[in-house]
Amino acid sequence: MNPATDCEACRWVVPAATPGWPAWMPRLAFHPANRGPRGDVLLVVFLRGAADSLNMVVPHGEDAYYRIRPSLAIPRPNDRRAGAYLRSLDLDGFFGLHPALAPLLPAWHAGHLAIVHACGAPDESRSHFQAMELMERGLTNLHGPASGWISRHLASLDTGNYSPLRAVALGERVQRSLRGVVPASALQSITDYHLGGDPQATARLQAALATLYAGNDPLSEVGRETLAVLETLAGLGAERYDPRPEANYPDSDFGMGLRQVAALVRAEVGLEAAAIDLGGWDTHFGQGSSEGLMAGLLADLAQGLAALHADLMERIDDLTVVVMSEFGRRASENASLGTDHGHGGSLFVLGGGTEGGQVHTQWPGMEPGQLFGPGDLAVTIDYRDVLAEICLRRLNNQALGAIFPDYSPVLRGIVRPRP
Amino acid sequence: MMERREFLKLAGLVAAGATLSACTPAYRIIADSLESPAMWMEGDSRAFRILNRLTYGPTLAERQRAAEIGVQAWIEEQLDPASLPDLRGDLSVRPLTSLTLDAADLAAWERDDVVAELKRGALLRRVYSHRQLHETLVEFWTDHFNISVEKGACWYLKTVDDRQVIRRHALGNFRDLLWASAHSPAMLVYLDNQANDRRAPNENYARELLELHTLGVDGGYAQADVMEMARCLTGWTVKDRFWRGQFAFQSGMHDEGTKRVLGVQIDPAGQAEAESVIERLAVHPATARHLAHKLTRRFLDPSLDRAPEVERRAAAAFQASGGEIEAMLRVILLDGVVANPDPTPKFKRPINFVTSGLRMLQTTTNGGRPVQDHLSRMGQPLFEWPTPDGPPDEMASWQGGLFARWEFAYDLARNEMEGTEIGLKDLLQAAKAESLGDAFDALANLLLGAPLPEPARAEVLRRIGKVPEHDGPALLLAGLLASPAFQWH
Repeated sequence: MNPATDCEACRWVVPAATPGWPAWMPRLAFHPANRGPRGDVLLVVFLRGAADSLNMVVPHGEDAYYRIRPSLAIPRPNDRRAGAYLRSLDLDGFFGLHPALAPLLPAWHAGHLAIVHACGAPDESRSHFQAMELMERGLTNLHGPASGWISRHLASLDTGNYSPLRAVALGERVQRSLRGVVPASALQSITDYHLGGDPQATARLQAALATLYAGNDPLSEVGRETLAVLETLAGLGAERYDPRPEANYPDSDFGMGLRQVAALVRAEVGLEAAAIDLGGWDTHFGQGSSEGLMAGLLADLAQGLAALHADLMERIDDLTVVVMSEFGRRASENASLGTDHGHGGSLFVLGGGTEGGQVHTQWPGMEPGQLFGPGDLAVTIDYRDVLAEICLRRLNNQALGAIFPDYSPVLRGIVRPRP
Repeated sequence: MMERREFLKLAGLVAAGATLSACTPAYRIIADSLESPAMWMEGDSRAFRILNRLTYGPTLAERQRAAEIGVQAWIEEQLDPASLPDLRGDLSVRPLTSLTLDAADLAAWERDDVVAELKRGALLRRVYSHRQLHETLVEFWTDHFNISVEKGACWYLKTVDDRQVIRRHALGNFRDLLWASAHSPAMLVYLDNQANDRRAPNENYARELLELHTLGVDGGYAQADVMEMARCLTGWTVKDRFWRGQFAFQSGMHDEGTKRVLGVQIDPAGQAEAESVIERLAVHPATARHLAHKLTRRFLDPSLDRAPEVERRAAAAFQASGGEIEAMLRVILLDGVVANPDPTPKFKRPINFVTSGLRMLQTTTNGGRPVQDHLSRMGQPLFEWPTPDGPPDEMASWQGGLFARWEFAYDLARNEMEGTEIGLKDLLQAAKAESLGDAFDALANLLLGAPLPEPARAEVLRRIGKVPEHDGPALLLAGLLASPAFQWH
């Protein structure tokens, strides 16, 4: 934008009597006028450790899959040699879900869940660290902005929302994707979000702050917004939050985290972007098949997402959830009944604006000539195509060049524009 | 605990004012013992405002010193940091041994320890150094030549850059500063010049050198200049085995062709090619304008009508002196800040908010994890700004972190941070605060330069007043630190 026009668009606000301020305090304050409307609430679930997407979204129409995964493959939907509960759940005649992902079927049938397969990043390092770093920063190589892609999205769109909970990292630390110019709050629990100490004293302090922030200026607006958030959350407390009866969050850190996200969304405290991690996917040893180690992780993932989907059904058109992982795993199983670091993976998009009930893919195949590098699923859709489309169509942000600076995304029709 | 010397001084002032009525606020007692008694009185706090802008939060000792010799003389003192003994600043960072080490030694340390000491060192110096203007300039150049410790080997290279580039030249000659930065391994890693190979040129550093470090985005260079400068800089890299972390010019990576930067042909001369451009950039008129603009805005609010005129004179002084930072700064401070009858306050960045709370309350701190964690929550973890433009200097970027400021205010007032302690009792005793109202006024004077105006003063006292006696002052203090007024300087 032209800086001159920009400046004309700004106005200098002259607050009236500001009771909390000494006479020399500012009578002028900057008020940006070039704001854009908010889009969906974005939730990014990162599966740390490189999830084996070939066993999550099973290409049961691929003979090669069964050939190179003799022990780990998930049986075909119609494989009568396996117990029904062990078979993959057919999606479209070629792909099927891991049986532990069954809780996601309602969202799939409602058209709220899209899967993007053979999707991933161009990086070939097969290093968890480097791949996560690049993916969370939204870059092709490490020579680029050190901030995260979600943070750059937030920084490049002034929604006029200065809520302290605009960006929230569930867990102990702020995810790389959220690091940058817009401060993100790291929350273990909503109950962290209060001024500690003796409740009576804290209440008095907050009452005093209400007096001090009574002015008619932008900072006082932020102060009052913050006080309102504190009050809302105090009445909300994670344990007091009442999910809809059909939302059964798993009793896990992940389930608790999603529950907090739902609570924040329903409390309308200004949440625009949240990130949560689910770890344990680096399954080199004893990965299991329809049952076992990875099936347990998938159950946690699916039950959590299904509960969130049910819980936020009334607001599903204002929610976009992305589930991603740094890369996929080797197409063939290894000698330890696990899988090694691979390349192409998959990405889930959940929300009311999703072109759901479809596996979006340009399937590269799994025959020897079709695999990539040391025997990995090829990447045919760059993960940034999906994220950029979400930024553009669901988050109302057109500044894709700022968010993904060294990449020209291809829109793939995975989400619909907001009405 | 406050520093003993300052405590005694304050106690002396209190004694000198003993004939005054018992409920006289501390600032009046101090004011009456000073040469110009009106200076700290409500309604005439210009000197306080100036000091508030030029320091990390003025201590009583600094306010008294400025009152004794006048603000202008106080600024002259600060412009010549070598003339100011700084035992306290030096002692505060002495335990941080990594700050004195070379890159090769630092590389053998634990990453977390190196980064933690770098952060602590910066905070402690800002809080404890008497050379406040120097520290402000150190911060200015740290931002101007931003390097994030999160990038590659910068976690240990930045410690060397901080010492040998930024701190050494902060008030020196800009040419020396720019030269040192360009040869700084941390900068070459941070902006990818270590990967700038004739076979695969990387423009990152070349671009920021022109756009951010010298000429400015409107400084009259073209994309072709960036590409040609990148060619000059091919082979400027960092050793990674022997003499690890030292600057190296790798002639094998260097583009041997002729280049043309900013209209001047550059004949093949290896390392000297880029150096000759750096010499020109340092004294380029566009550089002078760019630096004057940024530095003026660091000290003056951009809404000020006279700012462009101050900028113009500051740039002229910079050029006339051959790139002396102090020459430019003198114009900005004396013509811009001091001569301005009604300076518009600036929104404190998180670091200024934190240091001003610590300094103005004479806090003892080790600058450790709890304080640094608070800075992170406010959005300004030290030495971690990801982008090369450095942390911004405008309110819109920071106001979202208000709740994190309140948390810090509350933790500081209640002494809830390990390694950081306020001697609230001592402070109030020295101020002879006998009622909650006295305490409120004394603390407001320390932090805001004057008591809170009515009716806010009475209203806040009423709302906080009913807590048990011993909690009252701490709550009032938290309220003042968290107040809108304390977010500006």
